[in-house]
Amino acid sequence: MALTCLRPIRAVIAALILAPGVGCAGDPARQPSSAGSEDGTDHGRTAHAVTGRGQSAEREWFTDGAPAAELDFAHFNGMSGRFYMPEIMGPGVGFLDYDNDGDLDVYFVQARMLEPGKTLQNALIAPHGPLPPTGRLFRNDLSVAGDGSRRLRFTDVTDRSGISAPGYGMGVATGDIDNDGWIDLYLTNFGRSQMFRNKGDGTFVDISRRSGTDGAGWAVSAAFLDYDRDGWLDLYVGNYLNYTIDADKECFSATGGRDYCAPQVYRAQPDRLYRNKGDGTFDDVTSAALVGAQFGPALGVVTADFDGDGWIDIYVANDSEPNQLWINQGNGAFADAALLAGAAFTGEGKAEASMGVDAGDFDNDGDEDLFMTELSGEGSNLYVNDGSASFTDLSAPSMLGPSTVRSTGFGTGWLDFDNDGWLDLLSVNGMVRAVEERLSAPFPYDQRKHLLKNLRNRQFEEVSAEAGAVFQLSEVGRGAAFGDIDNDGDTDVLVANAGGPARLLINEIGSRNHWVGLRLVGQHTTRDMLGARVAVVRGDGATLWRRIRTDGSYASANDPRVLVGLGDSAEVPTVRVRWPNGREEEWSDVAVNRWTTLKEGGGR
Amino acid sequence: MLTSGCGTRPDERAAPATDRPTGTLPAAPALPPATLPDLSHMTDSVRDQILELDRAVAEKTGNLDIQPAERSAAYGEMANLLMAARCFEAAERYYLHAQALAPAEIRWPYYLGHLYRTTGELRKSAESFERALALKGDDGTILLRLGEAYLAEGRPERAEPSFAKALSLQPGSVAAQFGLGRVSLARQDFATAASHLREALRLDPRAAGVHYPLAMAYRAMGDRAQAESHLRQWRQVEIPVADPLMRELDDLLQSPAAYESRGVRALDSGNWAAAAEHFKKGIELAPKSPSLRHRLGTAMFMMGDAAGALGQFDEALRLSPKFALAHYSVGVLMETSGRPTEAIARFTAAVSHEPSYIEARLRLAGALGRSGRLNDALSQYEEIIRIDPRVADARYGQAVTLVRLQRYQDALDHLSDDMKTFDQPSFALALARVLAAAPDDRVRDGRRAMAVMQALTPEQRGLDSGETMAMMFAEVGQFEEAVAWQRGAVEQAQRAGRHDVARRLAETLRLYERRQPCRTPWGADEMLP
Repeated sequence: MALTCLRPIRAVIAALILAPGVGCAGDPARQPSSAGSEDGTDHGRTAHAVTGRGQSAEREWFTDGAPAAELDFAHFNGMSGRFYMPEIMGPGVGFLDYDNDGDLDVYFVQARMLEPGKTLQNALIAPHGPLPPTGRLFRNDLSVAGDGSRRLRFTDVTDRSGISAPGYGMGVATGDIDNDGWIDLYLTNFGRSQMFRNKGDGTFVDISRRSGTDGAGWAVSAAFLDYDRDGWLDLYVGNYLNYTIDADKECFSATGGRDYCAPQVYRAQPDRLYRNKGDGTFDDVTSAALVGAQFGPALGVVTADFDGDGWIDIYVANDSEPNQLWINQGNGAFADAALLAGAAFTGEGKAEASMGVDAGDFDNDGDEDLFMTELSGEGSNLYVNDGSASFTDLSAPSMLGPSTVRSTGFGTGWLDFDNDGWLDLLSVNGMVRAVEERLSAPFPYDQRKHLLKNLRNRQFEEVSAEAGAVFQLSEVGRGAAFGDIDNDGDTDVLVANAGGPARLLINEIGSRNHWVGLRLVGQHTTRDMLGARVAVVRGDGATLWRRIRTDGSYASANDPRVLVGLGDSAEVPTVRVRWPNGREEEWSDVAVNRWTTLKEGGGR
Repeated sequence: MLTSGCGTRPDERAAPATDRPTGTLPAAPALPPATLPDLSHMTDSVRDQILELDRAVAEKTGNLDIQPAERSAAYGEMANLLMAARCFEAAERYYLHAQALAPAEIRWPYYLGHLYRTTGELRKSAESFERALALKGDDGTILLRLGEAYLAEGRPERAEPSFAKALSLQPGSVAAQFGLGRVSLARQDFATAASHLREALRLDPRAAGVHYPLAMAYRAMGDRAQAESHLRQWRQVEIPVADPLMRELDDLLQSPAAYESRGVRALDSGNWAAAAEHFKKGIELAPKSPSLRHRLGTAMFMMGDAAGALGQFDEALRLSPKFALAHYSVGVLMETSGRPTEAIARFTAAVSHEPSYIEARLRLAGALGRSGRLNDALSQYEEIIRIDPRVADARYGQAVTLVRLQRYQDALDHLSDDMKTFDQPSFALALARVLAAAPDDRVRDGRRAMAVMQALTPEQRGLDSGETMAMMFAEVGQFEEAVAWQRGAVEQAQRAGRHDVARRLAETLRLYERRQPCRTPWGADEMLP
């Protein structure tokens, strides 16, 4: 075992990351090639990018790659001392390959001054970057050298992109709404939300009003899903509170200082479900399709087929009110099954302040389990699925409590950061109410991030201390997007901080293990087939399930591709795909340590 | 990072070296100095309270002639105040000093256990409760708190003996049974969990919070009917634990927010007079707080003092003219005192300042409808539905307003849709009325009305459905049945003392006796929600 390749860490972690026989240097099985190359096989498979980089044993697991890559963005929250609630709720962030060049680009949500009559000069935290502050699109100009080494560099292309987002931004959702193969962009706002259609020439056009999705109010997280399996991506928008600046209420800490209000001070704003009509417009089908529950203040939304019936369901994380589990009835309607499913409350029956949420098969038993971040004092929650959308709260036995109970979590995701085949957890954190003793500071809500290692026994261990200096930064974490930004076969994380600089957490450890990277596109469209499920069947019969999605986390959009860690085995697995329309196909020759595109109809 | 980054005062005062309890804890590491937090952001009353106590504490703790127990108490008193002020870092420092000076004193480790639980330091919380328990092993409250700490830490095997001992000391303890039930749930021993949780409910049927974990136990055992039954009975309420030491902290802090919080607790428990007292004390400290004024007005209204309540609401509005909740409250007062025009003005103000204020819009729509401004009422219902399509009261109000506007077909269409969307029999009952009694021949359909009513169970039809049943039978020509149902409705109204309603029903009864159908789906006295 090549333990000498690692920094000194606990033996148990080393054992889990480096199984016998895995070296640290480039593996012969990992042949380098240029990113984005097509192999043109008759199986509808496309070699998308390959990695083979040798890693320095001394490097940290994650490093902040933003400065070197010129990914220069800092969020501006417009605070002027009035404690308006939106100031502490944004921003999200998005990964999207808007120019279809095979690498992930980045969209940053931005905000503006909130207090009427105030200018940027009145901001307590000065803006950074182009003025006036608006949402920014950065193009990824990734280059891969012949030895497999990569250089990330980003270019701010906002001004030429046609995206104009001067509002008070909250989040990002991505999906190809017109099946033209170019990913579109939905921006949630405090104010009217915006839909931008990708024209395929590097520019977008604002179709907010025409699409019928420009709901007013306060939307935070949104998710694209094809709930009626008609081949067009529909849209679920999670709305937070009925809050306006005019109706802002003053809230105070126990000792009388001003602070942000708790959500209970305001009423929840109902969520919306928009059905894609296939002509660039959407119908608001909320009242007809979402039957049988009251809405809560939604902060996180994730879609997955929780009961395994082939129809995609929706889970909504609400702030201090019961969460919803909208089970797709297969007839255009959903029923909220959260209460009996054990997914509305903790095991004790408490509604907690759910913020970020993600679904993933962390115990490799073939179903989607739920993880959500909560308020400090509550601890993050793990609801384990028995395969029928019946959940058990295993938050305490999983040992998540001691690690997370002191943090207020927002962006989060299941990620196999070390590619050992088991989904781990990462969350970014930052308080919403200040500790009394820090109220004198201008924005005293910062906390550190968590990285939690899956111990393969339904328990987790916090490994943040070993994960690198970026995990020691105390910031007001909100959005987190997950994806392979440098196409090297491991999951990187883009973090958006409220009132602070963005961080690009480059994974330096995952590609030491073997992996399979998959992009799934449709038969009649080259769009990512959100909702498809992938089973990677290992030689020993063990199966790893993943799904195609961009949703989850908090107000953020993820890489639509799936990356499956294989540990120390370079054996070619069998890949089975269950497409959103229910069709199933199998591939037996998907290459290891490469990104591959699977086209519907190209398997057997 | 709840406990980090405490802004310590520049003049922080290190604990005197001689203050260390070296005689009792020779190997203990030096304690952090007992220093106050940054007080600059605090309201004057709290700052003064802390500084005044600080002077008293300093006098005692700086005088080594004073017995350690007394100095310990002084540190502890400050710790309690800081804990009540949620200054946990500083409170911890004072508690540690108190504990070091009086290691046999149970309060300090006990409070530290709570403090660490609050700050999320679960292991330290359990250790502190263990320390308290070592001082008083038969204290049921400590045992319960210790069990909770272990459960939160994911150590049910350590929690179980604590709950079990608590139960042996207090055989009627709901909290102990609740704890043991959750220990069994954590171990996936669902039958034992159900047994403990059932016992908790037997001991206190009002402990509605028990129903949720009990439902989860039944669900895991495959008994869906029991699970659903308990979910229906569940309410999110804490299982109370008698905790006199923690109660002592509740009333320590003298800040507007603290008084408001106490007042709200009193309101929630129906103790209006106590609530009013708390709010008044809060107003003494913060006379310009519209929120406290509004809450005091609410408490006074509940005490029957409408005039006093109105005065407080008006004062709240003088302080904050855009305070939608206060406009709404004044509107309700006006409405209940028979002043509909003023009520409408107040509800209008409320929704103009807070356009998504659903309750205010509903009240406004109702008031407009009752004032005969039907199109205005309809607009308000439509706006509510636009804001939140799932507000059933707005859907219902919209439908009956359409009836009053004689737009029967529109009402029929809406009610037909609403019946599918909302699982509430009121929509089916309303639909049946329109089908049975609408003056528009194109809308009326007695057979369909009958089908709608037959689809409802007797429970869904409710006691007040006699009039609707009579309309339906009359429409299909079964006047004997109609007369019988209508007579029942008249008698029911008379028994309820609703003589005006009884008179109207009797008039319709005479129609049926003359074998004539009804053509007024609703009377003017029962139209709008």
